[in-house]
Amino acid sequence: MLLEVKNLYVDFEGMRGRTEALKNIRFTLEEGEILGIVGESGSGKSITALSILGLLEENAIISNGEIIYNGQNLLHLQKKERQKLRGKEIGMVFQEPMTALHPTMKIGKQLQNCLQRHRNLPAKEAKEAVLQALRDVHIDQPEQVANKYPFELSGGMRQRIVIALAMSAPPRLLIADEPTTALDVTIQYEILNLIQELNQKRGTSVLLITHDLGVVAKLCSRTIVMYAGEVVESGATKEILHHPAHPYTRSLLDALPDSVPPGEPLKAIAGETPSLLRRPSGCAFAFRCRHAMDICKKRHPELTEKAPNHHTACWLEGTAVYD
Amino acid sequence: MIEIKQIEKIYVNGKQSTKAVGPVNLSIREGEILGLVGESGSGKSTLGKMLIGLEPPTSGTITYKGNPLWIKKKFKRYRPGEIQSVFQDPQSSLDPRMRIKDIILEPLLGLPRAERKEKGNSERLKQLIHRVGLQEEHLSRLPHEFSGGQRQRIAIARALVTEPAFLVLDEPTSAFDVSIQAQILNLLKELQTEKQLTYLFISHNMSVIRYMCERVAVMYKGDIVEIGTTHDIFENPQHPYSKKLLSSVLSVTDQENGSHAEAL
Repeated sequence: MLLEVKNLYVDFEGMRGRTEALKNIRFTLEEGEILGIVGESGSGKSITALSILGLLEENAIISNGEIIYNGQNLLHLQKKERQKLRGKEIGMVFQEPMTALHPTMKIGKQLQNCLQRHRNLPAKEAKEAVLQALRDVHIDQPEQVANKYPFELSGGMRQRIVIALAMSAPPRLLIADEPTTALDVTIQYEILNLIQELNQKRGTSVLLITHDLGVVAKLCSRTIVMYAGEVVESGATKEILHHPAHPYTRSLLDALPDSVPPGEPLKAIAGETPSLLRRPSGCAFAFRCRHAMDICKKRHPELTEKAPNHHTACWLEGTAVYD
Repeated sequence: MIEIKQIEKIYVNGKQSTKAVGPVNLSIREGEILGLVGESGSGKSTLGKMLIGLEPPTSGTITYKGNPLWIKKKFKRYRPGEIQSVFQDPQSSLDPRMRIKDIILEPLLGLPRAERKEKGNSERLKQLIHRVGLQEEHLSRLPHEFSGGQRQRIAIARALVTEPAFLVLDEPTSAFDVSIQAQILNLLKELQTEKQLTYLFISHNMSVIRYMCERVAVMYKGDIVEIGTTHDIFENPQHPYSKKLLSSVLSVTDQENGSHAEAL
């Protein structure tokens, strides 16, 4: 096991009180796998990533839990030690490549800095390594691209550069937070293939965060579904997509435009995500749920194993209600 | 209803000129939802803007029910309020300092006085706000008090207040999660049937297009490279770009990671 998040609670202190952004998050990531975290905006998926990276804002409070990476609890490390892990052990790719790149430094120089820092290469070897790093992310003319500034490149090219930077150490774990959301579908497809290839060729483990069920279907062997700061379901992607156990997961799949024939209304989920300032005492999804029972509004369901390696936090028995 | 003939849009910056659109020919039939797809920079939004009066075409003609929309660089309203639009991001398309009521009524300012009075009466306003799924008490509030999905409902109410016949919808659900996307798409589709509206539906999301539209035009680098019924475009795309676009669409039902697809 490369990463284990145990009972993680994260709160934010704000003007209107305490927001419980993450509540009892737990999951594991095995060496070499691509694990997906899927959820809508406000579900806490990005906060989860930032907690692992140690990049939470100042007003965030980790009130409970452990993040075990490679046998050590990251939450016990000093700031300096965590900084050393970032980039070298844990690479990161975010949604908007332009904000991750230095706007006035040539691509080659940025990559060279990164490679020298992580691999202690002499300047001459670093130059060759830059070109190789660009070839690895399928950039055809590495010499020309190395000599360009980020603004001269397209969004898809920039995201390739960001991936090349993230892979420069190379890291054991790559955290990719909505890496293709800002890109056109054709480019998205190429970038996802690239991530898959890096995983298969180099064995890099990937934590992939997305709002798009199609992305986890393509890439992830296992998936975690988050809602309102909690894990509501986790298991093999195939199981989650074809036999969803939580009504929220089912509703998300049902709300996709291709789940009904044209002409029939879409199965929208009524209402909106609850405010995390006043978290309901029962299940956070209860008041939008078609199957809500009395107990759902009163008592909070815990994540339990409903089928082998398939966990869900729901009071309903099994998946019978859908089949 | 709308005839676009040899429309071109060229942006000139100093000595450089960039062709954003065209020349493009396209007709939009009364009562249909025509989808316009393409990658970012393909010119689909620019084409939409030329239909609602935000960008004058460099050359070519657009006629609306037989009347030219542009005479030289001037946008001609054949009947004010007949063409309306809804954009992607209601955060930026709603004035943060205006009350919802004033936001919804604002398009009426361009109308003749009698019509303005008739369409802006409070009974109609109440009906409209209910129709888009909001409450009367929301009318006195400010945009920041609403969620993204609710703000888009407000933008839709604003577009409908003048009783338009034609709407340009430019990525109307791209900023939302799927659960909200489904709510907004349902609303747009219901309104289209109820009021016999014609839509130009601009989107990069192929499954949204497939669900919403009867016909689809594919734009690539400023040109319309393919146009046809939704069924034909999806089942039998002809242009290489359409083919590439469709093969890049991710589906939750076909999985690559070691497992074979099974029906949901």
